[in-house]
Amino acid sequence: MKVVEIMSKEVKSLSPDMTAREAFDIISGMEISGLPVIDKDGKLVGMFTEKDVLSHILPSYIEKVGRFVYEQNPKSTKKKITELGNIKVSQIMRKEVLKVNEDTTLCEVGRIMLTEKARRIPVVNKDGVVVGIVARCDILKAMAKESEI
Amino acid sequence: MLKKFIILVVISLSLGFLSSSIGLSFNQSMAIAIFSVSVLGTLFFWDFRLGFVFLGTSILLMTRTINIENVIKFASLDVILFLVGMMILVGLMKEAGFFAWIVQLILRIRNMTAVKFVVIISVISALLSTMTSEVVSIIFMVAAVLEICDYFEVDPVPYITISILATNIGSAATVLGNPIGILIATKAGLTFEDFIIKAFPLAMVCLLAAIILLIIWYRKTNMQLDKHIKELGANEMLIRLISVPPDKELKISLAIFGATLFFIALHHRLELLWDLEPNTLLLMMPLFASGCVMIWKWKRAREYVEKDVEWWTLLFFMFLFAQAGTLKYTGATDVLAQKLATLAGNSLPVLIGIVLWVSAIGSSILDNVVLVAAFIPVIQSFQSMNLDLQPLWWALLFGGCLGGNITLVGSTANIVALGILEKERNIRMTFFRWFRVGLAVGVLTTTIAWIALLVFPFYR
Repeated sequence: MKVVEIMSKEVKSLSPDMTAREAFDIISGMEISGLPVIDKDGKLVGMFTEKDVLSHILPSYIEKVGRFVYEQNPKSTKKKITELGNIKVSQIMRKEVLKVNEDTTLCEVGRIMLTEKARRIPVVNKDGVVVGIVARCDILKAMAKESEI
Repeated sequence: MLKKFIILVVISLSLGFLSSSIGLSFNQSMAIAIFSVSVLGTLFFWDFRLGFVFLGTSILLMTRTINIENVIKFASLDVILFLVGMMILVGLMKEAGFFAWIVQLILRIRNMTAVKFVVIISVISALLSTMTSEVVSIIFMVAAVLEICDYFEVDPVPYITISILATNIGSAATVLGNPIGILIATKAGLTFEDFIIKAFPLAMVCLLAAIILLIIWYRKTNMQLDKHIKELGANEMLIRLISVPPDKELKISLAIFGATLFFIALHHRLELLWDLEPNTLLLMMPLFASGCVMIWKWKRAREYVEKDVEWWTLLFFMFLFAQAGTLKYTGATDVLAQKLATLAGNSLPVLIGIVLWVSAIGSSILDNVVLVAAFIPVIQSFQSMNLDLQPLWWALLFGGCLGGNITLVGSTANIVALGILEKERNIRMTFFRWFRVGLAVGVLTTTIAWIALLVFPFYR
């Protein structure tokens, strides 16, 4: 089975020019961890996730310093949260994005999700335009359905 | 990129042909050409450096310039294993909160004044880099300095600069401060005790001179900091900012790290007592301690080995050392040493000056490990000319560490710290803003080292 057969064709997405604050409000309102960022030509340009927001607002060295317990939020973190309203999505989104094409098999998409720890992957056509999105649960449901037959 | 690549090829080929034209053999010229590709590769194509040394070493093997047995011999596995052990240990200390605990000590400074702040961050930066390594210590120092400058609303650049400069000076003080320390110690047969007796005091004198210069250099920022300290009052918020509870894990980690440092410090005495080969304990202790860590924390052992050990850098070092060894193996460095000694009129003081200043200027542009790896076989070749090598080793150590302060790309600590500054505060340090203060501190401290090496017979 190919991913084109099971993907969601209605893709909720973000624009690279909207502010990080607006984008964050959208994903938290939808209670999802992130959304693809698509430009005006329909091309996938990035992925905006809660993780990107978190890594932007916390000190950049936090991953390198090991156990570094902040009892109160540092001033820089408070400042960065306020600044989310002035920063564009394109400035903090992840630009190296996982994507698959319409002909990718479910097993291959599953492998990519497993090895790259991805929850959902955008599907693009041969022109690089986003035509759908596939989530881990879509893969599992399709595989389960296939084995029942 | 293509332009840089052409420059690299042209310089390397020219050096090869030049070597050949002055009477060096094919193998010697080949070793020089390939080594210069690796050196220039690190300068122009930093991200590709591992690829360059892999290719270069393969060519040396295929052209029979060196054989596999000697590649392995010159790869200095002893140094690499020492660094692996230390990196695992530092990974544990990081996770246990040791460095945050140190940072917390700085944040707790009572009755802070600008001068007190400069002195404390300089001393802690230097001491931390003598115990761990410059790259690890600078990350924590930058974190502390940024928090403090944020709190007191002052420009962090001067204080980050001070911390970096002190870190590089401190890295010359012990075998642990910089990879070139252990590299020189193993090749020169120097002990940790030698470093403590000879390198540490000199590094501290350099640090003191640098602190005085920096207090004067940044007097305006210091006045501003003093004003803000008075306005904002006591740093109680700062004290509450970071907390590291001294739990069991931190205490055990401190005990392991302390015991490792203790045995490393006494390695020479214990090796004599137990009739062990020189430097056996020095090289073995980090491995022994990291072995204990991996058994104690067996669930995370794989993570320590995979994430905390910088395999990319260590592989680069191994192949670079092998290529530098090829210079020695082919006898190219004997010829270079002979020419250098003739140029210096066979005078040891002149040679000390040449080694010190060439390594200082060279390491302000190149990675100091690359430079020191190239210099080591040349210095070893001076032995056949009955020259006293001791002051030359110290000159190489101090030149390699202190020269890193001159430019903003002079040492890995500079690059890491300025990278954080740019990412965190969107402040991009310009070449000349760094160069002015870096050159002043670099020249001052290298001159102090030069005078000490020339004047005190202690270093011979």
